[in-house]
Amino acid sequence: MEKVVIDEKPVEAARGPIAEVAGMFVKSHAAVVALVVLLLIVLAAIFGPAMYQIDPFEMVWAPFSPPGEEGFLLGTDYLGRDIMAGLLYGARVSLAIGLAAALMSVCIGITIGALAGYYRGWVEEVLMRFTEFFQVLPTLLFSMVIVALFGASLEVVTIAIGVVSWTAVARITRAEFLRIRELEYVMASRASGAGNFKLMVAVILPNAFPPIIVQAALMVGSAILFEAGLSFLGLSDPNVVSWGQIIGSNRPYILDASYTVTIPGVAIFVTVLAISLVGDGLNDALNPKLRQR
Amino acid sequence: MATQTILEVRDLTVELATRDGISPVIDGLSFEVGAGETLALVGESGCGKSMTALAVMGLVPHPIGRIAGGEIRFGSEDLVAVGEDRLRDIRGNDISMIFQEPMTSLNPVYSVGEQIAEVLRRHQGLNHKQARQHAVELLHAVGIPDAAARVSTYPHQMSGGQRQRVMIAMALACKPKILIADEPTTALDVTVQAQIFDLLRVLQRETGTAIVLITHDMGAVCELAERMMVMYAGRKVEEGTVDDVIANPRHPYTQGLISCVPHVTDDPSAERAPLVEISGIVPALRDFGADQCLFAARCRQVVARCAAERPVSNDFGSGHRVACWQAEVAS
Amino acid sequence: MSDQPAANLLTVKDLKVRFPLKSSSIFAPKRYLYAVDGVSFSVTQGQALAIVGESGSGKTTTALAIARLIKAYAGQVQLQELDLLDLAGDDLRQARRRFQFIFQDPYSSLNPRLRAADIVAEPLAAMAADAKQAIVDELFQAVGLRPEQQRLFPHQFSGGQRQRLGIARAMAPKPQLIICDEPVSALDVAVQAQVLNLLRELQRQRGLTYLFISHDLGVVQHMCDQIAVMYLGQIVEFADRISLFKNPLHPYTRALLSAVPRVDPAMRGKSQRILLQGDPPDPANPPSGCRFVARCPVAEARCHSQPPALRRLASGQQVACHLVSDDAVSPLG
Repeated sequence: MEKVVIDEKPVEAARGPIAEVAGMFVKSHAAVVALVVLLLIVLAAIFGPAMYQIDPFEMVWAPFSPPGEEGFLLGTDYLGRDIMAGLLYGARVSLAIGLAAALMSVCIGITIGALAGYYRGWVEEVLMRFTEFFQVLPTLLFSMVIVALFGASLEVVTIAIGVVSWTAVARITRAEFLRIRELEYVMASRASGAGNFKLMVAVILPNAFPPIIVQAALMVGSAILFEAGLSFLGLSDPNVVSWGQIIGSNRPYILDASYTVTIPGVAIFVTVLAISLVGDGLNDALNPKLRQR
Repeated sequence: MATQTILEVRDLTVELATRDGISPVIDGLSFEVGAGETLALVGESGCGKSMTALAVMGLVPHPIGRIAGGEIRFGSEDLVAVGEDRLRDIRGNDISMIFQEPMTSLNPVYSVGEQIAEVLRRHQGLNHKQARQHAVELLHAVGIPDAAARVSTYPHQMSGGQRQRVMIAMALACKPKILIADEPTTALDVTVQAQIFDLLRVLQRETGTAIVLITHDMGAVCELAERMMVMYAGRKVEEGTVDDVIANPRHPYTQGLISCVPHVTDDPSAERAPLVEISGIVPALRDFGADQCLFAARCRQVVARCAAERPVSNDFGSGHRVACWQAEVAS
Repeated sequence: MSDQPAANLLTVKDLKVRFPLKSSSIFAPKRYLYAVDGVSFSVTQGQALAIVGESGSGKTTTALAIARLIKAYAGQVQLQELDLLDLAGDDLRQARRRFQFIFQDPYSSLNPRLRAADIVAEPLAAMAADAKQAIVDELFQAVGLRPEQQRLFPHQFSGGQRQRLGIARAMAPKPQLIICDEPVSALDVAVQAQVLNLLRELQRQRGLTYLFISHDLGVVQHMCDQIAVMYLGQIVEFADRISLFKNPLHPYTRALLSAVPRVDPAMRGKSQRILLQGDPPDPANPPSGCRFVARCPVAEARCHSQPPALRRLASGQQVACHLVSDDAVSPLG
């Protein structure tokens, strides 16, 4: 299309990139709804346990009391524990593990991808072979081995998830670095006296962020699923409740009291869906081709 | 001119939907192309010269753009009114086009021979063998050495100049009546550009094709065209023979376009006066179509009337038409 | 000061830049493409020197190597007392203030995440904030931008304004040498004049020295005092502005000049064009003799075997061609 530029632009229009992205994000209704849902889940995880004062480990009533009866909103499980309490406490653990694992894999991925994309040559060869090695590992088995070796604590589970899921970030970061390092403004910064570290961290990385942020958002969702999977297999900290653990422990009774499994299942589904919709919204908002300039 | 008119554009208006509403990116444009002549369309980017070409080809981007009025008479037909099927027949057959970037306008996954043969099969109904044979002849005609072997090479194996030659071979494959060349040499080196100009001249002499040359380069205009039309903000501001317009530009915009670029002379002097600047930039799309002279904001000779009334095009003799209130006064 | 013989600010000696080629097998000897193959010239203080050539001639590579933005393989680049190719680390970063670069593409040469003021201040990293601001204010005025535009981001500027920002950035550390790589070729015709006039005006005011890379001979003729013509990694002709355009000596220079369309109705159809055949040869396999031999209309037997050296004629012009006589007569008459 023909490009027409306006000379006298009002200076008030000097919005920063963040304001611009926010403006684009709110244009996607699904993403906004998902963000609201996600915020409600986060608020419930933060304040819920304090307001809903029932211990999720305590046997409060007879087992298998259906939802809504006997005063328990979501019923009780096979040991007579309150499922609502389990959901609220479990939300903390699931979200915390999801965020921490995603953060960890983003940090590993960015470091490896940035070094590979910036230095190229043998550094890239070595780092990308290393990345490929992690890519071809059967992730679930590998993390099960880690948990089995180092014990089923929250930290170990988080690390086990983070260690197996950074490869996508590394590849995206490398691709962005390869593209951006050739742009003239990077050369201009070098001509202005910037060193390698500054070029990587302060010049290229901020411009490489958009796709990484999107990938990170999606990764929170998959980390929650991963944790649920490990819990389901019994490979999680027995001293904390998580959504996956509720499903896993009620698994034998799925035919008798399906709600004990479906309710935490729906919680996982809604959360992961909300996260990926937010991720999609971010993707659209951060994509400069869709942004009007 | 005594030659027969083959394309006549009358009062063409093309509208484009933008964030700020509907803008006429082509605004009441009229011009003619004579058989076998070369007409240059000149202006800055955003002046509507490429959109004019797209309108003639029936390729106005849908759905953001549409032809809102006027007619494009080609032979006995109005290209604005005929259907898409008929346009497909005309495109590449009667009217064809070459583009600025010869790399991206060739399909990288087919050999150049296949791409030329495809055009011949579609429009001329040749079979595979005939089409391929003819493709070799065409490549030879556009000066590709060893055409019989080169016919099976792929675009990325050729230099920029050779790719542009292939584009020209493809465009001229069906002996079109009009060839629209959109900045055909902008991406090429100057020695290669000279080769392409020569090639176009020779082929034009042989085939009698009319050329519509879209460019911002006055050198290219002087090199190839007999007549030129200067566009600004979707309107024609000046039109005439190249000799008249270059020697005696009457519109301040044309004057600026000619003198704002340093031209090579064979006898440079020691003194170098600053270049004449055209201040500011092209108006925003939303200001197109206003009832005034759209160049007024950048014009050195502006008077009150320029902002109040849209200038009408006046003939200053031998088809030299100018749309400027001040040009009137000056003569 | 104009009476004193002007000193050389920049001297380049036998500069070579090579890029490794993909070899057919890992056992094959490593092959290189010499993009710049023994280039020598010097730039006088306060003047503008142009390197012209077509794509693949190595002109931009030469500029990037001088600016230490890519690695030179051999040679010497002397900016007054500094040997630029020997510098490394902090010394190089310090020295960069003295030579700055203006890039071709005003769209990709500005970091989209920085505000205009920060872009201009980028080369001033170590300076105090208010001193930086004073320089930015002064430069915005000097390049014709409004002070309130300092807060804008690059995408909010037009192409011409962006190039003004690029110019302001290059001027910020008060450099002695500015290397301009095709500074107007990405701009709209009407805007080119604004930028070229600005560059000339800044040169006059600040006594700057320009190394100007361009393929546009009109721009070169207008902007530069001395001109080096490059072909396939080597300088084929070096002359002052008036001699080069009045009496081009090398057959390539002749062909290049004759290929430029003249905007002069009187000249229409009368130009004597020397039409070169074909494309420049592959720089990975340069011919053994003169590099121009395959396209030269007057090549002789010795041109195929002996590479001509750049020699200085009595007229002061330098040319690398066996067939140019010592009294500056071109083989093309």
